[in-house]
Amino acid sequence: MGSSLENRPPGWSYNPSRWNQRLPIVALALLGTAIAAYLSLYQLNLIEDVWEPFFADGSRRILESKISHILPIPDAVLGALGYLLDALTGVIGGRDRWRRMPWIVVIFGLAVGPLGLVSVILVILQPVLFDAFCTLCLLSAVISVVMIGPALDELLASLQHLKRIRRQGGSVWRTFWGIDPAAGQPTDLKQVEA
Amino acid sequence: MWFQVANTALGIWLMAAPAVLDYGAPAASVDRVLGPTVAAVALIAASEVTRGFRLLNVPIGVALLVVPGLLGYETPALANSIAIGAAIILLAIPRGRIKHQVGGGWRSLAE
Repeated sequence: MGSSLENRPPGWSYNPSRWNQRLPIVALALLGTAIAAYLSLYQLNLIEDVWEPFFADGSRRILESKISHILPIPDAVLGALGYLLDALTGVIGGRDRWRRMPWIVVIFGLAVGPLGLVSVILVILQPVLFDAFCTLCLLSAVISVVMIGPALDELLASLQHLKRIRRQGGSVWRTFWGIDPAAGQPTDLKQVEA
Repeated sequence: MWFQVANTALGIWLMAAPAVLDYGAPAASVDRVLGPTVAAVALIAASEVTRGFRLLNVPIGVALLVVPGLLGYETPALANSIAIGAAIILLAIPRGRIKHQVGGGWRSLAE
């Protein structure tokens, strides 16, 4: 129990679903949730001012801009929901979730990727359209981009697993939903657990 | 990983350069678009499993070399764009050290 070799995908030197791999991402996602929630309070007029140490009225200008209100709800609210989804899908499942719950790993990967992409687009728009920067928006963007690489190794392990199952003639559908993960268990993993 | 950390820093520098070196459009707009893009690509590529992303920074570096001539940059923006563009290309090409094995990587999915 607890060995770094336990539950390793075939051909891997580590297990991407181990807690020491996942908890840092979950912590970053929670930090992102907190920052975006704070910015949401300002955009929803629940607080009077927003913390901005470097760029004068940059944060206010950006958070009040048309782009940030292009959707029915302010963009920071969407960001907070995105980060919360990252944290939830990061924490659900055990150390073997790359093969027992590919569905949650795929949702995790899909949640982390686009959130980072949208953050970068917003960072590009800030100075070009409004000639302003927003410290907490930049920090939030850095967090969302930093999460991408560490999250995608698990997605790779799950996709390789599904491919292996298909090669062995198993049901990709049932494996994806974790209905009979043991059926598709690679032989070397059986030996490790025996 | 350190090559990617360096390119992240260069991308952030491009975001700050228009203010620090005091130059305006068109150079400022180009650097404020390409800077965060370079930084984001390099940050993603810092992870071993997504190291392949680093190659996206090669064409961006080439753009930094070519665009100043096309848009007629003035001196500080011109020198900055060419120096930083060349550095980004050089730092984006080497793969760096890979310590972990990941079952053949993304390429294994296409086999």
